[in-house]
Amino acid sequence: MWATKSTKKRMQWMWIVFVVLFIMLIGKLVHVQFIQHDLLTKRAEESWDREIPVSSLRGNIVDRNGKLIVGNKLAPTLYFMPAQNDKPLEAAKELASILGVDEQVLAKKMQQKTSIVKLAPEAKNISKELAEKIQQKNIPGIYAGLDYIRYYPYDQLLSRLIGFTGYDQQGLAGLEYQYDDLLMGKASAIRLFTDAKGAALPHVQDSWKEGQDGATMELTIDVDVQKVVERELSQAMEKYEADQAMGIAMNPKTGEILALASYPTFSPPSFSKVDSKIYNRNLPVWMTFEPGSTFKIITLSAALEEQVVDLDKDHFFDPGYSMVEGARLRCWKREGHGSETFLEVVQNSCNPGFIELGRRVGPTKLQKYIRDFGFGKTTGSNMAGESSGILFSEKAYGPVEHATTSFGQGISVTPIQQVQAVSAAINGGTLYQPYIVKNLIDSNTGKVLKSYKPVKKRQVIKPETSKKVREALESVVALGSGRNAFRDHLRIGGKTGTAQKVEDGRYKDGEYIVSFIGFAPADDPEIVVYVAIDNPKNVTQFGGVIAAPIVGQIIEDVHDKVGITERKGQLEKIYKWGDVEKVRVPNLVGQTKEDIAKLQYPFRLEWHGNGSKIASQLPKADAQIGLDGIIHVYLEK
Amino acid sequence: MSAIILLTLIGIVFVYSAGTYWGKVHYGNTAPFLFKQLIYLGVAVAAFYVVSNSSLLRMEKSWTILYIFSLLLLIAVLIPGIGAVRNGSQSWIAFGPLSIQPAEFAKIALLVKLSFVLARKKSTERTIQLIHFVLILLPAALIMLQPDFGSAFILLVSSFALLFIAGYPIRFYVFLIMIGISGLVGLIMAAPYRLKRIEAYLDPWSDPLGSGFQAIQSLLAIGPAGLFGHGFGNSRQKYLYLPEPQNDFIFSIIAEETGFIGAALIVITFAVALYSGYALAVRTQQLSYYYSVAALISMLGFQAFLNIGVVSGLLPVTGVTLPFISYGGSSLMSAWLIVGVIWNFTKRV
Repeated sequence: MWATKSTKKRMQWMWIVFVVLFIMLIGKLVHVQFIQHDLLTKRAEESWDREIPVSSLRGNIVDRNGKLIVGNKLAPTLYFMPAQNDKPLEAAKELASILGVDEQVLAKKMQQKTSIVKLAPEAKNISKELAEKIQQKNIPGIYAGLDYIRYYPYDQLLSRLIGFTGYDQQGLAGLEYQYDDLLMGKASAIRLFTDAKGAALPHVQDSWKEGQDGATMELTIDVDVQKVVERELSQAMEKYEADQAMGIAMNPKTGEILALASYPTFSPPSFSKVDSKIYNRNLPVWMTFEPGSTFKIITLSAALEEQVVDLDKDHFFDPGYSMVEGARLRCWKREGHGSETFLEVVQNSCNPGFIELGRRVGPTKLQKYIRDFGFGKTTGSNMAGESSGILFSEKAYGPVEHATTSFGQGISVTPIQQVQAVSAAINGGTLYQPYIVKNLIDSNTGKVLKSYKPVKKRQVIKPETSKKVREALESVVALGSGRNAFRDHLRIGGKTGTAQKVEDGRYKDGEYIVSFIGFAPADDPEIVVYVAIDNPKNVTQFGGVIAAPIVGQIIEDVHDKVGITERKGQLEKIYKWGDVEKVRVPNLVGQTKEDIAKLQYPFRLEWHGNGSKIASQLPKADAQIGLDGIIHVYLEK
Repeated sequence: MSAIILLTLIGIVFVYSAGTYWGKVHYGNTAPFLFKQLIYLGVAVAAFYVVSNSSLLRMEKSWTILYIFSLLLLIAVLIPGIGAVRNGSQSWIAFGPLSIQPAEFAKIALLVKLSFVLARKKSTERTIQLIHFVLILLPAALIMLQPDFGSAFILLVSSFALLFIAGYPIRFYVFLIMIGISGLVGLIMAAPYRLKRIEAYLDPWSDPLGSGFQAIQSLLAIGPAGLFGHGFGNSRQKYLYLPEPQNDFIFSIIAEETGFIGAALIVITFAVALYSGYALAVRTQQLSYYYSVAALISMLGFQAFLNIGVVSGLLPVTGVTLPFISYGGSSLMSAWLIVGVIWNFTKRV
């Protein structure tokens, strides 16, 4: 026999080699078909995909009552598949004439050797009519992809909050950017079956890849309230040639923001025409500044809660200044308010009176109240770019700092923090987190994807204390420095504020932010409205003069929209002061323009001449004028 | 034998499926390959019948003549005008509408001739060994000149497998591996396109439209198929994504349409065919036949391994057909000739 043992053994070895080799093959197949399955499938689909995208709808943005703030409108985009048209030049010519664009550019694009060309920007977001016209021409290889662009029924309304979208409908600023993931839909597509060169395969069915529309975003905003706020702010911008203006309206019982506005503003489709600061800064949450007298509400609340003062019974003597560690902190009324009750201290916005209140509360406790009222921290309103403001650190907090803090100077806060704090002070003492997005809703099914509810942060003061704060602030409007906000039977309460602007850590000469924070009705507040005007000109820069009437007007115009009915039992405007609508003119002569602006007179001042020192005034000191009267002031160098 | 018939049937079916669109686009006919392949199969089966019954082929002299004849064909194919260039290699000789690949037949002639030589003399003598190498290297060198690296590689590996079975010492193979590595380097230096193939093998995605193209398109066919595949006729990659899908890369399409199950089945069928081949070898009546059968069946095994290895990305791209399955007259013919020779040598006379 031929076969030796060794040759047979060698053949067995060969067989083993093959078994090993074939097992390697199977192993490789397992690797490719199972382990790399998903990756390769993805890549294969990329390679097969000939999709005509059909933009899904970006989510609408609506107000609390379902009114459309931002929607979509149809604006198709054209696509071209070069493999399906052997005369691309003719097609380009025809298209160019209809679209009115450069034929050469189109021709160049349409001669590309790719599977599908997006004719952008020449034929991106063209009008529906134009698309229909092109469709009728039946140019081979031309497809119109459904595409949408943003539609703004109210044009500029809310633009600094909402922001805008870019070329491909991606959110670029504001809420559009912040909630882009949810607002952005998944594009649908017509999936065309073609061979590798892009020729259509007639026997294979084209399929429809279902996308998903973006979620509808329901805001807490009430468009009707927003319109009023924006109207008032834009008028103020014009009237006072102000640098900026901002306003917030909020429901103090829930933290729902009803209106939020910043000026100057812009129209979202033409965002590129304005400075990026305008669309990147949502002023009511971004801007920080010295609050001035509006902050006195916090000192007042603390003093009442600590029961260190009886507003009606305790008296205070204001000599026009207060000495703190050798520093003379002056009242806006240089000669002082003399003897007054603490209620009058509040009505007069008397600085030394508040220094006394702060002193009675004590530095540690006041600091605690300030932080409990939410200052020094972002509010959690979930709006992009919110600032936390600056408070004195514990180390730096000496008696002088304590005194200035008591009347709102030397610290830095945002408008939204003030609204949050004051809402707590007047709503019964509960600090609510402000919020702006109410619901995110699946646009197709109507299912609520995400819902935001009022968030109670903490109880800061007792309901009884809050009641006292409300009454005191109502009297500020009825009888004191906020009287320009008075509206009959609406029981508006509030507080003025004036603060010198700070730049690089120093007070800026002659530039102020005047503000007013008001609420109504005082017996059961439904709305808090804050307005601040940055650097108004041609007028005395006092919150009581500029901002208070705006807040009064806003509350008057929206009261029926937020469910405020006319009240009885209001604090009559003339009740206490009787005819004392006339007041004595203070002596201004010898002071500087800056001093006076700081002191927050409730009068309108009209300036004459150049210089900073006051040479004379008309009417003279001690004369009586109406509260609406004008004091003419003459300056010298 | 039944394994081989199964493979052939699979081949026919998938040459049709894979080649439909390619044929339509390039030849205006949906089944040009199927039609031709059926003719080839007819010829191949006829050749099988002749070869398996020829007593002439049982003699060494006939194989000496065939070996010399195949060398002449290999020389002829290099002469411009006789040899036809396809895909960069001058490997075909056209006879009217048909064309043959001499290398396919040279491989068979060499292996059988070498088997006879090995069976006759003690292979430990140096001079005899020299003869062995001359026999191997002559056709190998001629094939390399075409250049047809795939065929040459198959020829060399099968020959060395034969020498191994014939009892060449193990140290020879250690030496061979070293030669192989240096030879590979030399080959790459001689023809830079091979380096590109190696690069493409190591990372096909680095140049997806160039050197990695085939490897990637093949993976894109196999990978997404998963366990069961897309179903018969539902390949996407055959729509011009994978070039000449009915040919070397037919396994990709099979894997794409029938999934891991189909692909693994083919591998297993080849293993079964291989095993029965070796079993048949033991039944031969002469040492020379035993060597021949073992060598030829090994060659089919290497070819299948190389092809599937390339297609699945295990090995760098080399142009080797899948025996019995790939489209092509020479490939099918040579596979069936091999079966015919095996049949002939294992018959009990």
